[in-house]
Order: sequence, then structure tokens, then C-alpha cells
Amino acid sequence: MGNISEGLQLMLIGMVTVFTILLIVIYGSKLLIAAINKFAPEQPKAPARKADDTPVAVLEAAVSQLTGGKGHIVKITKF
Amino acid sequence: MNGFVEILDRLYQMTAISNIIEQPSFILMYLIAFGLLYLGIVKKYEPLLLVPIAFGVLIANFPGGEMGVIQADSMGYVTLADGTRQIIWDMPLHEIAHEFGIMNYLYYALIKSGLLPPIIFMGVGALTDFGPMLRNLKLAIFGAAAQMGIFAVLIVSLLLGFTPQEAASLGIIGGADGPTAIFTTIKLAPHLLGPIAIAAYSYMALVPVIIPLVVKLLCTKKELTINMKEQDKLYPEKNEIKNMRAVKIIFPIAVTTIVAIFVPSAVPLVGMLMFGNLIKEIGSDTERLFQTASNGLMNAATIFLGLCVGATMTAEAFLNFQTLGIVVGGFCAFALSIASGICMVKIWNLFAKKKINPLVGATGLSAVPMASRVCNTISTKYDPKNHVLNYCMASNIAGVIGSAVAAGVLISFLG
Repeated sequence: MGNISEGLQLMLIGMVTVFTILLIVIYGSKLLIAAINKFAPEQPKAPARKADDTPVAVLEAAVSQLTGGKGHIVKITKF
Repeated sequence: MNGFVEILDRLYQMTAISNIIEQPSFILMYLIAFGLLYLGIVKKYEPLLLVPIAFGVLIANFPGGEMGVIQADSMGYVTLADGTRQIIWDMPLHEIAHEFGIMNYLYYALIKSGLLPPIIFMGVGALTDFGPMLRNLKLAIFGAAAQMGIFAVLIVSLLLGFTPQEAASLGIIGGADGPTAIFTTIKLAPHLLGPIAIAAYSYMALVPVIIPLVVKLLCTKKELTINMKEQDKLYPEKNEIKNMRAVKIIFPIAVTTIVAIFVPSAVPLVGMLMFGNLIKEIGSDTERLFQTASNGLMNAATIFLGLCVGATMTAEAFLNFQTLGIVVGGFCAFALSIASGICMVKIWNLFAKKKINPLVGATGLSAVPMASRVCNTISTKYDPKNHVLNYCMASNIAGVIGSAVAAGVLISFLG
């Protein structure tokens, strides 16, 4: 019988702990969200695009990057 | 002529056939291994884990192959080849490898030390997105309710004559979380590791069968058609998250700190889970760590974990009544966890204006993300426009934290 009371005790402690921890996580996160909304509401911006973002310029930059500046696009043809 | 017979006799002794004829229970183990392989390969039940486990079972049960994990008795004694008895904890790893073979080396170095489950948890963390939970924080509480099954089965197992440690390991199957179940069992009742891991992973694979069964027994059609999105429109959330990235980065750090203070024994699991999540959320700066944690390291850990767990299932360790108890008890733990999550939602709905679909309670046990997907299928069956996936993910992810905390409590009280 001692075993059963130990089991019930474990159930009580276990469930109370699990609920407490998750309640703390929930309210802690609410606090965290409120604090961040107040002090750092901005999403970090994506780096601003340069003016030259036409497809040709992007291709040219990619080729230049891959070839270490040696290669250039000479001609682009449509299939 | 005599010499020829002698050679034949020695050949016969060399093969496993002589031992198998002496002890036919091995054949049953092969059949179990083949059955598990079939489930993993053909039925695709968690093949990433079931295939290594099943193959581990197969290679562990060839006498003379030295691939089966030996279990020390309750005092820690094992019998060596020369008949002497020694405490296994006094044996250095290389001696274990020499005496009992490479699988025992792996088992004692990686599993018995408790190393692999936290590493897998790190990978799980790296693959988990806490976003749905952060957007629906209230629903996270159902991840706590669904841990009830663990403790209910613990009590029933005590009544059936299991020791408290064994009962706790059995109950933790109800957490529906493989690594958590394995971690707890290693700490509390390592001799049951094989059957418990098999039960945990089999029932997780059977989530698409078990959840609809329990839901059908407990929920009405009216409850299942509760549309969470419409409820959100009727009663909108006050707090909108303006900077999700910052929240997601601070969240794992904060949760680890809180859990570590209250339940230190859950830190190996929760801490590693949150570390994995943190390196994911930081983004490109820790991309390489994230890649390793979620791919290479996790896959390697899964291979060793599966093979070693399978290798603990030797004929003498597996074929007994305890295994049967684990299979039945594990199922009850699983079903009770789902049921208690659903009941908590029902109680909630009695008092709250903003109603919640009981499926959100059913996903309170872990088994991420399969439980949520299954529940979404159920809800869309009743109303094709009613998608509950994101809401279910909230309680589902909270369930991972919940079951790890429950495991921590069990380990610190019974370990």
C-alpha cells in the first residue's frame, strides 16, 4: 500500500510541476513579447537593395563572384 | 573416418545452429525482428528508427555473435567468459569491448551513459519551430494536461507489482516522446530499455490510429467542428508579436533558465532541445552548427541509438511477462494522455467564452508533428475549411517540454 501512496504523491508533484513550469513559460513568454514589443518593436530590416538590381546586373555580379572577377557576360540570348 | 566426423562436429559447434536447437526461443526473436523490419520497411512505421532497432534485435540474437547487450543483475554483477563475476561499473570500456563484444561497448559508452537521447533532443530542437506556440500561448497549457496518462499508468503499474522505477519508465511511454522515454528508462530501469523503446516508437507510429480512436470515443461532432480561426476573429488576441525574430531567440534561453532552476534533472533534455532551437533561430551566423545538429550528428546518434536499443532485446531479456505488461501499459498510458488533454479542453470550454476545439487537447502529448497532422485530418473531415494544424502545433510543442519536465520529476524522485 505504501507504494500506492508514493505513486499518488508522485502524480501530484509531477502534475503540479508540469503545470507550474508551463504556466511560467506561458506568462514569461507573454512578458517577453510585451517587453520586446515595447523596446525593440522593429523587425531587423533586410539589407537595402542597391539601385542596380536588374536581372542583367545580378547575373553579371554572380558571374564575377564565381570567376573571381575574371569572367564577364558577353552576350545573353533567349531560347 | 573418425577425423571427418570430428571436423563436422566442430563445424556444427561453430555455427549458431547448435545453440539455436538447444534454445529455440531465439527463433521467436528472429520472427519478432522480421516482423518489425516488415513494419518499418513495408508499412513505413517510423522507418528511421524501427529499421535500426529491428536489425539490432536480429543481430543480437545469434549466440556467439556477441552483439547482444548483457544486463548486469541488480547489484551490477556480470559473469565473464571464465566464469568469474565482476561488477560491470568497475570494468573499463576497452575491457567490456574485449569481454562482451563491440555492441556492449557502444551500449555502455553511448546509451547507458545517457549520451544519445540529449543529442537527439538537440536535433529535434533544431528542427522545431516554436512560432505556432508563441502565437497561441494559451493553448500551451494543454501540453501539461496530456501528461496525466504518465502518472495514471505509473499508479496502475505499481498495483500490478512493478517496482516504482519500472512503473515510472512504463508510464513515460505516455509522454509519446522516444528520446524522453529512453532517457528516463536508462536512468530508472535500464533492464526494460528494449521493450519500452519498442513500445514508445510503435505507439508513436500508431498515432494516426490511436488519436482518432480516442477522439471518436470522447468528442461530439459539434465539438470537432469548432472553428478556431472564427473564434480568433470573434475574440481577437490583444498581443501581437511585432518582432518575432527577437522573441524566438530569447525564448530558448529563457525557457532553459527557468526549467534549470525548477527541475534541474530535466536539463539534459530541455537544455539540449533549446540549444538546438537557439542555433536554428540565430540563423546564418550559426548555420554550420545548425546543419550538424539537425543532420549529421542527429543521424549518427539515431543509428547508434536504434541498433543498441534493439540489441538489448535478447531472448532472455525480452520474452517474459514484463514485456507484455509494457505493451499493454504503454498503450493505456498513450490513450490516457490523449484523453486527459481532451478532457481539459472540455472543462475549459465550460467556463471560457472563446471555445477551443478538443483536438488541440488531443495533441498535448508530444509526437511532433504527426499528432497535429492527424488532428488536422480529423477536423477537415468534419469541415473541409476548418484547419486546426497551427493551433494543434502549439499544444503539441508544449507537450515536448511537458513530458521532459515530467521525466525530470520522475528521475529526481526515483533515480
